[in-house]
Amino acid sequence: MSSSLSLRSPFPVGLVEGLVNAHYPPILPGRVPGSFGMSCLPTIVGASPGRPRGPASGPGLTALDQIINPSILYGACVLGALGLALAMPRKGKNPQLIGALVTALAIGLGLIGLAAKAGAAQLPNAFFYIFAIVALGASLRVVTHPKPVYAALYFIMTILATAGLFLLLSAEFMAFSLIIVYAGAILITYLFVIMLASQAPEEGADQVLAGYDIESREPIVAAVVGFVILAALSTMMFRGIGSLPPPATGINPDLRLVQLPRKVEMALREAGTLKQGEKLVVRDNGDAAVEMGARTAVVRDGAGAERTVELPKDLNLANVEGLGFNLLSEHPGAIEIAGVILLMAMLGAVVLSRKQVQIDEDAKLRQVRRLSANATGGGVAGDAGAAGTGGSR
Amino acid sequence: MIETMMTTLAQASFPSVMSVPTLAHYLFVSGAMFAIGLIGFLTRRNLIVMFLCTEMMFQAAGIALVAFARYHLNFTGQSFVVFIITVAAAEAAMALALVVLLFRRRESLDADEWSEMNG
Repeated sequence: MSSSLSLRSPFPVGLVEGLVNAHYPPILPGRVPGSFGMSCLPTIVGASPGRPRGPASGPGLTALDQIINPSILYGACVLGALGLALAMPRKGKNPQLIGALVTALAIGLGLIGLAAKAGAAQLPNAFFYIFAIVALGASLRVVTHPKPVYAALYFIMTILATAGLFLLLSAEFMAFSLIIVYAGAILITYLFVIMLASQAPEEGADQVLAGYDIESREPIVAAVVGFVILAALSTMMFRGIGSLPPPATGINPDLRLVQLPRKVEMALREAGTLKQGEKLVVRDNGDAAVEMGARTAVVRDGAGAERTVELPKDLNLANVEGLGFNLLSEHPGAIEIAGVILLMAMLGAVVLSRKQVQIDEDAKLRQVRRLSANATGGGVAGDAGAAGTGGSR
Repeated sequence: MIETMMTTLAQASFPSVMSVPTLAHYLFVSGAMFAIGLIGFLTRRNLIVMFLCTEMMFQAAGIALVAFARYHLNFTGQSFVVFIITVAAAEAAMALALVVLLFRRRESLDADEWSEMNG
């Protein structure tokens, strides 16, 4: 009996701990930052032997207090929940503006609380604050705006601000592909569907919004749930990142340049380093004869005489090149899966759009009623509209 | 002042070290955006706006991934954002096709109209 009970023990703590430790082995003090890219292995290590840990922290976790004052964090979460619950669209008296202001206050409080604990040198770029506030403010508006078209337009604003954040994080390719794919393609599809699937306004009704847009479902419960999740999430993240190994200093993305002999040769030629008839030496395995540590390259002229030249200073690995190497050398299977997903989505969309729907009886009735109302009221409304436009001119 | 700020923006200093508090800033933005998207998904009753909110949650995950990629100076995080965008595009195509079908059947975008599907 007792043995079966112990087997059914809901939280086998030792087992979980063992699993976690097996997947995330403790970082060995002997490992030093490896050479990035040469071995195609992601080097997340890079722990210096005596990395500092919070004095009051348990093993593996640092105190939340080192990143942000907990009372500020939880106060901002409570304030945000309150504001967002107020800002949700509802019938009757609508304190949306107050709610939006309170939520903005909460976001500002969170950012100030983070900045207060960070040293002056550790603060992010000033552009970070601009983009972060635009992104969060626009996302707030996406959620609270009663008109779907405006929500989609505000979502484009969120995308643009997110692309700005990506630029600050030196992910240029992702920033621009985000704009092209999201703002250019996905949002246009959304706008098309919004236009396609919006109900024609009933004649004489000043309210063009549908009832389900005006009134939100359970705003208070949802706001509480969302911000409880945010509080838990940020607590866990901030406790966790305090104990991350410090970013490795030995990583040099430019090491990949060894595998790009044509780029190196082009850069040398543009810098005027290569004389007439000289070429960059390419080794048997296709690598360029480049020493990235000293930033020198070996060139050979037509007669076979070799000499060592310096690489130009502005020769760096571009973001696209690094991303491409990473994508193709480390995630080839994921690319295949992404292709299959896209193919399935295409097939699915074709199948769905060719399907004949049988319209519900009451929907048909509603349509008929609206059409007949339009037909009878159309003449009067048309005259009134013509008179109105004539008057305004 | 503006010029130096623009320079820091343009250079972006990829190989240099990013501090933990800076990473925390980006993670806070990511978490807040995720929470806002989640709340929107729970409260809004318009099917299209609900899917818009899921796209916003994808964005939040992307910010966290790129921030960690920058912190560890590792491109894998950026590669994952490529896949996030792929999945988001596929999801948008499928979801919007479904929304159009549902709208044609009931003449309404209200998610509660379909509450009998919960079984």
